Amino acid sequence: MSGLRRLLGAPGGLLGVALLAAFLLAALLAPLAFPGDPQAIAGPPLLRPFADAAWPLGTDRLGRDVAAELAHGARTSLAVGLVAAAAALALGSLVGTLSGFAGGVLDEMLMRITEAFQTVPGFLLALAFVSSVGPSLAVLSAAIALAAWTGPARLARAEVLSIRARDYVAAARVAGMHPVEIALREVLPNALPPVLALASVIVAQAILAEAALSFLGLGDPNRVTWGGMIAEGRTVLRSAPFLSIVPGLALVAAVLGVHLTGEAAVEAQAARRSLA
Amino acid sequence: MKRQIISRRGVLLASGALVASGALLRIARAQAPRAGGRLTVAADSEPRNLNPAIVASNGVFFVASKVVEPLAEASFDGPDGLAPRLATAWKGSEDGLSVTFALRQGVKWHDGKPFTAADVAFSALKVWKPLQNLGRVVFKDLEAVDTPDDHTAIFRFARPTPFQLIRNALPALTSVVPEHVFGSGDIAENPANNKPVGTGPFRFAEHRPGEFYRLEKNPDYWEKGQPYLDEIVYRVMPDRSAAAGALEAGEIELAAFSMVPLADLARLAKVPGLKVVPEGYEALTYQLVVEINHRRKELADRKVRQAIAHAIDKDFVVKTIFLGYATPATGPVPKSSKEFYTADVPATAFDVDKANQLLDEAGYPRGGDGTRFRLKLLPAPYFNETRQFGDYLKQALAKIGIDAELVNNDAAAHQKAVYTDHAFDLAVGPPVFRGDPAISTTILVESGIPDGVPFSNQGGYANPELDALIAKAAGTLDPAARVELYRQFQRLVAEDLPLINVVDWGFITVASDKVMNVADNPRWAVSNWADTWLAT
Amino acid sequence: MSRAFALLRRRLLGSIPVLLLVVVGTFLMLEAAPGDAVDAYLATSGGGDAALIAALREAWGLDRSLLARLAAYLWSLAHLDLGWSVTFSRPVLEIILERLPTTLLLMGSATALSFGLGAALGIVAGARPGSAADRLLSAGSLALYAVPGFWLGLVLLVLFSVELRWLPSGGIESIASGLSGFARAADVARHLVLPVTALGLIYMALYLRVMRAGMAEAWRMEFALAARARGIPRRRIVLRHIARNALLPLVTMLGLQSAQMLGGSVVIETVFSVPGLGRLAGEAVSSRDTPLLIGIILMSAVLVIVVNLAVDWLYGLLDPRVLAPGPA
Repeated sequence: MSGLRRLLGAPGGLLGVALLAAFLLAALLAPLAFPGDPQAIAGPPLLRPFADAAWPLGTDRLGRDVAAELAHGARTSLAVGLVAAAAALALGSLVGTLSGFAGGVLDEMLMRITEAFQTVPGFLLALAFVSSVGPSLAVLSAAIALAAWTGPARLARAEVLSIRARDYVAAARVAGMHPVEIALREVLPNALPPVLALASVIVAQAILAEAALSFLGLGDPNRVTWGGMIAEGRTVLRSAPFLSIVPGLALVAAVLGVHLTGEAAVEAQAARRSLA
Repeated sequence: MKRQIISRRGVLLASGALVASGALLRIARAQAPRAGGRLTVAADSEPRNLNPAIVASNGVFFVASKVVEPLAEASFDGPDGLAPRLATAWKGSEDGLSVTFALRQGVKWHDGKPFTAADVAFSALKVWKPLQNLGRVVFKDLEAVDTPDDHTAIFRFARPTPFQLIRNALPALTSVVPEHVFGSGDIAENPANNKPVGTGPFRFAEHRPGEFYRLEKNPDYWEKGQPYLDEIVYRVMPDRSAAAGALEAGEIELAAFSMVPLADLARLAKVPGLKVVPEGYEALTYQLVVEINHRRKELADRKVRQAIAHAIDKDFVVKTIFLGYATPATGPVPKSSKEFYTADVPATAFDVDKANQLLDEAGYPRGGDGTRFRLKLLPAPYFNETRQFGDYLKQALAKIGIDAELVNNDAAAHQKAVYTDHAFDLAVGPPVFRGDPAISTTILVESGIPDGVPFSNQGGYANPELDALIAKAAGTLDPAARVELYRQFQRLVAEDLPLINVVDWGFITVASDKVMNVADNPRWAVSNWADTWLAT
Repeated sequence: MSRAFALLRRRLLGSIPVLLLVVVGTFLMLEAAPGDAVDAYLATSGGGDAALIAALREAWGLDRSLLARLAAYLWSLAHLDLGWSVTFSRPVLEIILERLPTTLLLMGSATALSFGLGAALGIVAGARPGSAADRLLSAGSLALYAVPGFWLGLVLLVLFSVELRWLPSGGIESIASGLSGFARAADVARHLVLPVTALGLIYMALYLRVMRAGMAEAWRMEFALAARARGIPRRRIVLRHIARNALLPLVTMLGLQSAQMLGGSVVIETVFSVPGLGRLAGEAVSSRDTPLLIGIILMSAVLVIVVNLAVDWLYGLLDPRVLAPGPA
C-alpha cells in the first residue's frame, strides 16, 4: 500500500498511473464497449468527431468507427508492447545471465553476438525482418524484441558479474549446489530487478516501433493499430487531420503513461531503499 | 493548335465522357503558347531500366517518353485514335502478313546522327521482339523488317497477325532506339538504358539517384517551334503524401498518376492556383480485379464466385474508395475502350441475400459462428486503392459468412506468393488495359501459362471454350469479326467469372494553373509533352 | 593521428567476427524473404513471359544456389569488394558513397543538435533538481520522448513548409539549382532544418533526461556536498563539478545511439524525401537487393565503430582516470 502511495506521490506518478490506467482500461474493455469487428464499415465515410453521437470520434475513409478502432488499437499496441518487451527481457536476461555466469568462450561468443546486434541499427533490422517473414502481430513483436534485447543482456551480464563475486554465491558453491541451480536460484533473482527497471522503456519503445513499422506499411492488416491508423490518416492529413491526430495523441498519451509510471516506480523504489 | 483543342472538346462533350471542367475551359481560352521555363514534376519511382523499348511500363514512360518516341501516339481525334510520331503513315496487307510504315524524314537522334528505317528494323527485331515485356507477345511472329529505302519499313510476319492489334500496340510498344548506340554488345547492359538517346522533344540531361531527373530541350526537334519548355525536372518523392504539400508550397508544378491521394483532391481543387485534371488517362485504364485461385475447391464452384461478385457493392467502391474517379466494371474490357467494349454481358448486381442464397445452394452452410469457410486474401501493395479495396472486400465477405484473412505483403513477396507459389485464395490486382485485349488482358484468364509469369492467369483456371475463343481472335484479321469475338470473350468471362472485374479507373493529374495543354491526349502523362507550356 | 589510425585498424580487425556475423545473418534473412530481386523488378516493370524471367534470373545470378551465392559474396568481400547491386546495376560502394555525405550531414547535424541542446537544457534542469525549470523541462522532454518521429516530421512539414512556407518540404537541396559555394551551403542548410529538427528533438529529450539524472546523482555525491560546504558559488559547482561528472554517461549514450539514429532516419528520410542511406536501406529491403543492404549495414557498422572510438577519446579527455580506451 505504501508502495502505491509513494508511486502516486512521485512527480508525475499520478498522471502516469492515470494515463496508464486509461490505456489499460481501453484495451481491456474494448470488446465490451465496442463489440464486433472494429474494422467493420459502420457509417458514412469521413465523418468529423463530435458531429454525430453514434460515432463520437468520427469515421475514417471507409466509414469505420474511429472510437472503436481507437479502443481496439489500444489492445494491439498493448499486446505488441508487452509481448515484445517480455520477449526482449527474457532473451536479454537469459543471454546476459548465461554469459556472465559461464564466462570464458561462451561469454566471448555471446557478447560478440550481442555486439553484432548492437552494431546494426535496430529499426532497420526490424524492418528487414518483417519484410522477410511477413507482417503479423507475432512477427512484429518478434522483430521489435530482436532489436531491443541487447540492452537487457548487457545489463544482466554486468549484474551477474557483480553478484557472482558476492558471499552468498560463494557459500552456495561451497555447499555443493549445481552451477545451473546457483544461476537460477541465487544469481538470476538478484540480477533481475535492475533489468526489469528497463521494462517501461522497452514497452514504450516497442509501441513506438510498431507504429513506425505500420507507418511504413508493414503493419498487420487484420488488426487495428494506432500506427496503421496514422498511416492511413496521413493521406488525408490536410483534409481530415483528426484521423491522424486522434491516434497520434493516443499514442503519445499511452507512451507517456508508461514512461511516467516507470519512472515514478523507479524513484519510489529508490526512496524505499534509502529509507531502509 | 486552337482548332484541334476545340474539336477535341467537341468530341469529349459529344461523347458525354465528361462535363466541361474548369481546366478545359482554361485550355480553350489560352492564347499563343509561350516558349521557355522549367517544369518541375513529382516522380514516385526511379525505374531500374529507363529504356522504353525494353520495359514498356508507365513508370518508365513517364520519364522516357519525352526522350524516346514511338512510331505513333494515342490521340483523341486522329484516325484510329492515333497521331503520327516517327511513322507518318501505316498500312496493313490483306493477308495480315505485312505492315508498311512510312517514316518521318529529316529526324535526327539526340547525338546528331540521322534517324532511318534501319533503326526501326533494329528496334523491332533486336529489342521489341526478343527483349520487351509486351513486344515478345505481340511481335512473336515478326520474321523480318524490309527497308527498301531509308524512310520505309515493312514488317513481315510468319503468320497472319491482325493489323488492328499492331495499330493498337503502336503507342506503348514501339519506342524506337538508335542502332548505332545499341548495335554492339549486350543490349540489356548498354549504358544508354539509363541515359536514353532518342529523337524526342527533350534530351536526357542528368539523373541524381534519390533526387531528380533532368531533361533539357532538344533544339533540333523535328516539329519546328516545339518543345516549348526549356527543361523538365522530375523530383523524386517516394512518399505519396509528399506531393500534395510540395504542390501547395509551389515547389513542384505537376503531380501525375494520382500521386496526390484521391481523398485530398476535393481540398486541393479549392486551392487557388491549382487545378485537378481527371482527363488524359483514357488510354491508360487500370482495372481493379479480384483474382481467384480455382485450386480451392470452394472457389472452383461458379456459384461461390457469383456469390462473391454479388457481395461487392461496386457503387460503394467507386464512391468511397475512388471518390467518384472510377467506373463500375462489367467485364474484362473497360468502358473506355470504345472499340472493344460491350455492355451486353450478364450482370452481377450487388445483392447480399442472393449471395447468401447461392452459397447455401452450393453446399456451404454457415457454421456455429456464422462462418461458411475461411480464405486468404492478398491485396496487391502497389496502390492505396488496392489495399483499401482489400479492407473493404474482407468486410463484404464477412457479410456473406466468408472469413477472409488479409495478408499484407510487399511487392516482391506479393509477386512471388500470387504468381509463382499460388499461395492465395483471393488476390486484389490492378492489371492495365493496353488498348487491345490481346496485349495484356486475355492472359489474365487464358490457361497453360507457366508459373511465375506476373499479371497472368495463375489461378489454375482452365476453360477450353474460352481458350479457343482467345486463340481464334488472335488470328482473326477482319477488325469487325475480331471485335465480335472479343465481345463474346467479355460475355463468357462475365458469365463464368474466372476473375471478378470490380471497377476501372484512370489517374488524376494535379497541376499549377500555369501548366498549359495538360491532358490533350489519352496517354498524356506518358506522351512527349512537346506542346506543354508554362504561362506566366 | 597515426595512433588513432592504428587504433581504428585494430578495432576494425577486432570487429571482423562481429561483422561476419552481421553479413551472414543479413544475407540469410533477406534470402529467406519471399520473392527475389527479379520478383521485385517485375512488380514495377509491367511483367514479362517465362523465358524472359528465366533469362533475368540467370543474368542476375539468382539461378545459383544459396550457398554458392553466399560463398561468392563473401569471396568478393574478402577482396574488399562490396559487390554489385542488381537493382541499380552499379557497384554497391559507388551507390553508398553517393548517399553517404547526405546521411553524415543529416545525422551529424541531428546528433549535434540533440547532444548540444540536450546537454545544455539538462544542465539547466539539473542545476536545481526539483525547481520549476527542472519540472518543466523534465515533463516536456518526457512528452517529447513519447512522440513518434514520423509524426513529428509530418506535423513540422505541414506547419513550416506548407502553411507558413518558410522552409522547403523535402529533398536535400534545390534540385538542379546550379548554386555553388556559400549559396549552395545555405540552400542545403535550409533543406536540413526540418528533418534535423524532427530527428534531433526526439533524441534531444533522451540526452536531456540522461544529463539531468546524472546531475541529480552527482549532487548527492561527497565532492558536491564538500564543495557546497566550502562555500563555492553554486554556478561554479554546477559547471565545474556536477555537469562535468554527468557528461560522462551522456558521452556513453552518444556511442550507443549512433546506430539507432540511422534506423530512425529511415522514417525521417522517407517523410522528407532525403536521399540518404536510411531510405536507401528501405529500398534495398523492398527490392531484395542483398549486397546493397549488407553494404549499408557494414557502412553503418564502420560508422558506429568510428563514433565509439571518438567517444572513447572524448571520455579520456573528460575523465583523466580512464587511461586505456574503455570496453567496446
